[in-house]
Amino acid sequence: MNLKTARQADLIACHFCDTLNQVPNIDETANAKQEYYCSCCQSEIHSRIPNSLSTTWALLISAIILYIPANTLPIMTVVMWGDGQPDTIMSGVFHLLDSGMWPLALLIFVASIFIPVLKLIILTGLLLSVYFKTHWKPRDRTVLYRITEFVGRWSMVDIFVIGILVSLVQFGNTASVSAGIGALSFAAVVILTMFAAHSFDPRLIWDVIDDERLVQHQFQQVNKT
Amino acid sequence: MSAIPNTVQIKKHHSQTSLTHMACPECDLLQAIPPLAVGESVLCLRCGKSLYTHHKNSIDRSLAFAITGLILYIIANMFPLLSLKALGLTQDSTLISTALALFQADRPFLSVVMLLTTIIFPATTLIGTIYILIQVKTNTTDAFTAPLFRFLQSTDAWGMLEIFMLAMLVAIVKLGDVADVIFGVSLYAFVLLILSLTLLSASLDPHDVWNKLREKKG
Repeated sequence: MNLKTARQADLIACHFCDTLNQVPNIDETANAKQEYYCSCCQSEIHSRIPNSLSTTWALLISAIILYIPANTLPIMTVVMWGDGQPDTIMSGVFHLLDSGMWPLALLIFVASIFIPVLKLIILTGLLLSVYFKTHWKPRDRTVLYRITEFVGRWSMVDIFVIGILVSLVQFGNTASVSAGIGALSFAAVVILTMFAAHSFDPRLIWDVIDDERLVQHQFQQVNKT
Repeated sequence: MSAIPNTVQIKKHHSQTSLTHMACPECDLLQAIPPLAVGESVLCLRCGKSLYTHHKNSIDRSLAFAITGLILYIIANMFPLLSLKALGLTQDSTLISTALALFQADRPFLSVVMLLTTIIFPATTLIGTIYILIQVKTNTTDAFTAPLFRFLQSTDAWGMLEIFMLAMLVAIVKLGDVADVIFGVSLYAFVLLILSLTLLSASLDPHDVWNKLREKKG
């Protein structure tokens, strides 16, 4: 394989239009004053997302902290005949199970519990794997990243259900639904993890491998001459 | 396997309209993009990321789906989506009333999230896409086309109407037990809107628009 990465070829691909821009001696260290712009769409271009790891860590840790109130505080309260029972995410799933609506229970469980937890675990794992510079299955890790990015927004479904119920069930004291503070934290978790997935740069997974391959290649060339 | 594209070659390709080489956005591998037949796509050699898909009549079809979508979007916002009948009372809900109800229920943050994801971003996507595709078709792209298209690309993930539809399904089943749920006129328009939005994103590869812009720049 004599293929190169764009960075090794002194090129920066634009994030939006994929135009390859020639940038000799790419310098993206913290004190570099140079900013590069795409020749086609004039957007600012970076060889790697700036401060990708620290931004992702910050967003992810905030999401993990908010995940606790999201699951322990009530997400909504259904008041029937003046009598209300606050529901958390998990108790809502159990209520659905009790009333025999298991497909709904499964859907809410997957969207509100399974996917967010999976997302938090995968992002933490990816960040750690980049931090420890492992060579372990880079392709599989990229696919994991792709799944996380794609599937994350579907967790919003529970928030939308609450919104629809709040707007539809407005019959005064007889029946009404109100959104709890847990819904707020849960929405924040979903949004923060979406931003976290967005700020993570999957190219960092491959950089360790590419950099070493380049060093080996240069070493072999030196040995030949 | 293609040879390493050297910088001189890259420079030469700059004057051409479509990309002959691309760096994978997920693993940065530089690779040649062969000419594609309709319906074919290029996957990254190393990580399998889909790099480019050649859709049939991409611009025309996307424009048709976007205009259809805009009409359906207007209808979907004019009439109630769902109504709930209980105790002789009827409560209607539209897309906007859902966001406003959360505001009145002292959840302004959730209200803003709903407003952005179900009303504003879908609207900007539809109107912006129509505007840009008409510009591309009539060859009247200007300095604002590229920033606008960049905005549309970065807000694409935040239009969540299809998720709202799933949420409506959940709400219908949940409420169906205790009260009468009436499907509003807009609900049918809404379902068709989701369909045209899906077809729109399946028929437009952003590269088709960028290639046109690059062509204009020369």
